[in-house]
Order: sequence, then C-alpha cells, then structure tokens
Amino acid sequence: MGFTLHLDGAAHEIEILARRPHLRLRVDGRDYEITSAGEEDDGRQHVEIDAKPHRFVRAHVGNRQILRMQGRTFEAELLDPRDAARAGGTDLGCLRAPIPCSVVEVHKRPGEAVTRGETLVTIESMKLQIALLAPRDGTLAKAPRSAGETFEKDAIVAELEPLPKA
Amino acid sequence: MRSQPFRKILIANRGEIACRILRTLKTSGVASVAIHHAVEDRSPHVGQADEAVEIFGDTPVAAHLDVEQIVAAAQGAGADAIHPGYGFLSENARFAAAVEAAGLVFVGPDAETIALMGDKISARNFARAQGVPVAPSVTPTGDLSSFLAAAETIGFPLLIKAAAGGGGKGMSVVRSASELRSAARIAASEAERYFGDGRIYAETYVERPRHIEVQIAGDGDGQALHLYERECSVQRRFQKIIEEAPAAALAPALRDDICAAAARLASAAHYRNLGTVEFIVAADGRFFFLEMNTRLQVEHPVTEMITGLDLVRLQLEIAAGFGLAGVPRPLPRRGHAIECRVCAEDPERDFLPETGTLAVLEIPSAPWLRFENALAPGQRIGTEFDPMLAKLVVHGDTREQAVERALQALDQLALLGVRTNIDYLARVLDHPGFRAGELHTGFLQEHAAALQPKALDAAATDAAVIAAALGFRNFRNVVFDVPEPYASIGAWRN
Repeated sequence: MGFTLHLDGAAHEIEILARRPHLRLRVDGRDYEITSAGEEDDGRQHVEIDAKPHRFVRAHVGNRQILRMQGRTFEAELLDPRDAARAGGTDLGCLRAPIPCSVVEVHKRPGEAVTRGETLVTIESMKLQIALLAPRDGTLAKAPRSAGETFEKDAIVAELEPLPKA
Repeated sequence: MRSQPFRKILIANRGEIACRILRTLKTSGVASVAIHHAVEDRSPHVGQADEAVEIFGDTPVAAHLDVEQIVAAAQGAGADAIHPGYGFLSENARFAAAVEAAGLVFVGPDAETIALMGDKISARNFARAQGVPVAPSVTPTGDLSSFLAAAETIGFPLLIKAAAGGGGKGMSVVRSASELRSAARIAASEAERYFGDGRIYAETYVERPRHIEVQIAGDGDGQALHLYERECSVQRRFQKIIEEAPAAALAPALRDDICAAAARLASAAHYRNLGTVEFIVAADGRFFFLEMNTRLQVEHPVTEMITGLDLVRLQLEIAAGFGLAGVPRPLPRRGHAIECRVCAEDPERDFLPETGTLAVLEIPSAPWLRFENALAPGQRIGTEFDPMLAKLVVHGDTREQAVERALQALDQLALLGVRTNIDYLARVLDHPGFRAGELHTGFLQEHAAALQPKALDAAATDAAVIAAALGFRNFRNVVFDVPEPYASIGAWRN
C-alpha cells in the first residue's frame, strides 16, 4: 500500500517493502531500512535510517506535522489514499489570505478576464498592504464584494473559473 | 534629585522586555507591577511579577498606549517609578510628563529631551549645532514645489522620510528628479496616515550604508558616557533582525570618532538615563547622525554581553539619582556578541507576519547564551502585537566563535506551530558576506537569491519524509498491521 506525503508542499511517494526483520521503506524509488525509531528521554525524537541516526523535534498541528531536523523546519502532511482517490484538480485558481486581513481595494469583478500577475485585490494587515495577484490567466469567478470585508488566514479571497479539462 | 533606591516599579510593557526588566527588579530586590490586557492575562510577564493590574482598551495595543490609565495603575499600586521598556509609550513625551506630574519617576529622559529627539528635524538641528555630522538635507516648508526645488539641489539619490516617523513607514529612495514629485506626495500621505503628521524631509542617500549605533548613558547634569557601539546593518523592511557588538570590521579610529560624537551629543543635551545615537556610516568612512532613541533598545543585550553591565540596573540607578557610578572606567570590552530576532514571519513570502499556536518550544542552554522571550507552549501567536517572538543572544571570544555559537543555538532551537525566520537567520549568519563582515543595510536584498533555502539532497529529504511518515497515526497503523515488527523496531509512543 502506498502513501503520499507532502513535505513543504512537494509530494513524495512512500511504499512499505517489508516489516521484518526491520521496517523497509521505498521513498520516491529509493530503498531504506529503519532500524530504530522513537522518543528519547529528553523529549526529542530519533530515527535510524540505514544505520545513520537522526534526532529531531516534532509537533502535530491539526492534521499537519512540523519537524525540526537537520537544522531546518519542515511541514508535512500525509494524504490518506482514500482522500487522494477523491481529489480532483489543483488549487491554482484560489487566492487565499496569507494573514488575517481586510480588503482595501477590489480591482477586478467576477466575470472579468484576468492575466497572470495582474493585481486582483489589495488587502491590508497590520498597516501592511499586500497585492493578491492572478496566479494564471483566466476568468474571475469570485471576488470580495467591497473594501472593508475581512478574511481569516488561509480563507479564499478570490477564485478563478476552473480551467477546462484537457 | 532623590538618590534613594526604588521600592516598587510598574513596568508599562509586555512580552520579552517586561520579563527582562522583571529579572533585574528581582535581583535588585525591587517589587514589581505588571500590566496586562485581558487577552494576555496568562502571559509569562504577568505570572512573574509580584502584582498585576488589568488595563482596558478597544484593542490590546490601545490599552498599552493609554497614558492616564497606566499612570493611575502605578499610583493605585503604590509604585514609585514606571519603566516604559521599548515601543508603546517609551518615547512619548506626554507620558513622561504625566508620570512626573503624578509624583512618580519616569525611568528615562525628561519629557523635553524626548520631544527634542522624537522629532527628526529638531534632533538633526540639535546634532548639527553640536558639531555632529548630519547628512545634507531639506527641511519641508509645507510648500511642495519649494521642497522639490531644494531637494534637487542636494542631488540624487535622496532618501525621503516622515519627520515624525520610524520603522520604515513613509520612507523611500528617489534616484532621479522625475520620480521626486510622486515619491514626495506618497511619503507625505503615508506620514499623515501613520503618524498624523504629514511633514517629510529629504536627505542624501548613502549607498550601501552601515547602520551603527552608540549606546550612551547620561546623568542629566551634562555628564555622559558612551558604552561602545552596536552594528545593526542587517535589516529587512528597514527593521533590524541581526545586531552585534562591537561592529564588524570597523577601523578603530572611526569607531572612536563615532562613539565620541554620540557622547558629545548626549552631554550637550544634558541627557538623563540610557539612550542610543544612531548613525549611517558610508563605505568611505563618512558618518552621519540618523536619530536618537530615548529608551532602552531591543538589542541592548549585545552591549551587556561585551561590557558585563546590566543596563536595566544602570537605568534604575540613574533614575534613582545615583548617576553613572555604576559604570566602571575604563569600561571593559570583552569578546563579541550577536543577537538574532526570532520573528513569526515567512521570509519566503516577503517576511509576511505569521500566526499560529506554539505547539513545541525547545530552548537550547549554554553559559554564553541568552534566550530573551515570554513564550509558553500552547500560546497563541496572533497579529495583535509585534511579530518578534524572542531574541537569541550569544557571546564568543571572537566574532567567528559568536557566529558559530549562534548557528549552533539556532540549530537546536525549536519553536514549532507558527512559521518563523529561524532557518533564515541561520542562512544569513552562514553567508560568506556576513562572516566576512561585509555588511550594509541592503545586505539581505543584495543576497536575496543566496539566502533562499538550499535544495536538500535526496537522502536528506527522504530522511525527513520517513521521520514525518512515522509520526502519522494512519501510516503507523498500516506499518503495524501485523504485530511482530513492533518489538523489532523499538518502543513507539504517541
């Protein structure tokens, strides 16, 4: 059974090859043996991959996981194969609020044609104005009605019409 | 002047700086009063103080800016002084005056000095009169066309700033006469909007300038000392993120000149308490007065680490009338210190502020390390206050050692649940230009491409993928759907 794990937004395929005598996994076509894994007395995690030990710190935030490992911070999400089967196209038509914000100006209206890089909406947060740009060419499907409308972080502020299926 | 130690002090601030001040109050045997808005009633500074008073306002920030309410809180608690920290009311002349009018001591300069230095134009005029170099500039008359004409005579590039400004708001670089008119208009409207004062001024813009500032201490009677300089050139959005003391690769004669100019300015102003004189230093060794901050700086710990002084204690001694007796002369200067500001922000998305809940906090510990913070696991990181979460400050015998130690500490620091600039700070410290001390205020923009996260090799990426996968319950359930391997790969928790 295969899993897809998103690490900082990039998809990686994991397969379980064997469980005994040690766990063996295939990640994007490369095979690894995991000889030990768990939590240490100081609360840090460890995992030994091909006899090489790694120590790291882990936090669960909602259904995401954040790891601090190898001097870097990673965000990971595991796609349940059942969800993956349902999932359709991409999110490329959605403009989400990068931070909690309010709308300063709406530059385009639903139904208007937009080109990639064009400013669709200007938002403001903590006295900082941010332009939300069209991620691709297309037609605007949804936009805030007026200035002053507020959005939570990650809420969809504007959306393009889906691309026709190829 | 009183010359009598304080018994109880109200701290008109929050977060890491409130905790920092509390530490000195505790070791000095002075009782403490914290203030807090309802949203921060479980903040560490509240728990660490001897007493806490709730303050009210439409927003948490509005409560922290309420002069009358905070003075009344200090009086009600029986405090004999107020320490303002930095930010909020620390450079508000009306607040300083209200504190003194209430019969309390303001731990800082008098209201007149705050007002003098708080206005960039009057501060520059004062500095020029004391023989401190000031960049050629135009003071606005309120008439845009005469301002534009005068600005053109200085030559380009020019820097346009708000007279009442700070933090980069209303600031822009103009490189040609054709851009000047619209840039001046925008700066004036931003200045009006953020500071309620539309006056702007223009000055010579120094290319690749360094931002070097001098810590000064004055007794209020004309005696003033400098406590060496700090380099604060590494900035994003005109705000500092890495500071160090002493400045990297600064010629000793130039250092002495800059420090002496700062002390001269403080002495002429009959400056009382601690302050910081900021300079722009050009590559050719010219230096210009930028502004004076009439309070404790965010980056004061780097000065403490190289001098061994407790600057908050020194502030209290001066405010209590003991003058500068607490400063050894000559003042020792030992090794090198670096401060990194850990912020809830995304360096890959133009340093936009981030929000979240702090799920895991792991703080490295070492005798050469200070982690100034007011964090607790489970804490919500919102946008109601500044995105700075903590300051990581390290000391080393040499700058090289300090850089290595900062890298080591950042590597061990885990602050999970909100996106931070920790990895970015490490990339900046590790950059060859930073290591060589080739700093200027445009350093981060200049090296933006090199400061992007480096691609990981496949083995390192796969290790992170495996570590993450094993942390997901759905994955473990499949791994362990037969019982035997449980024993063979060790103890699993969570």
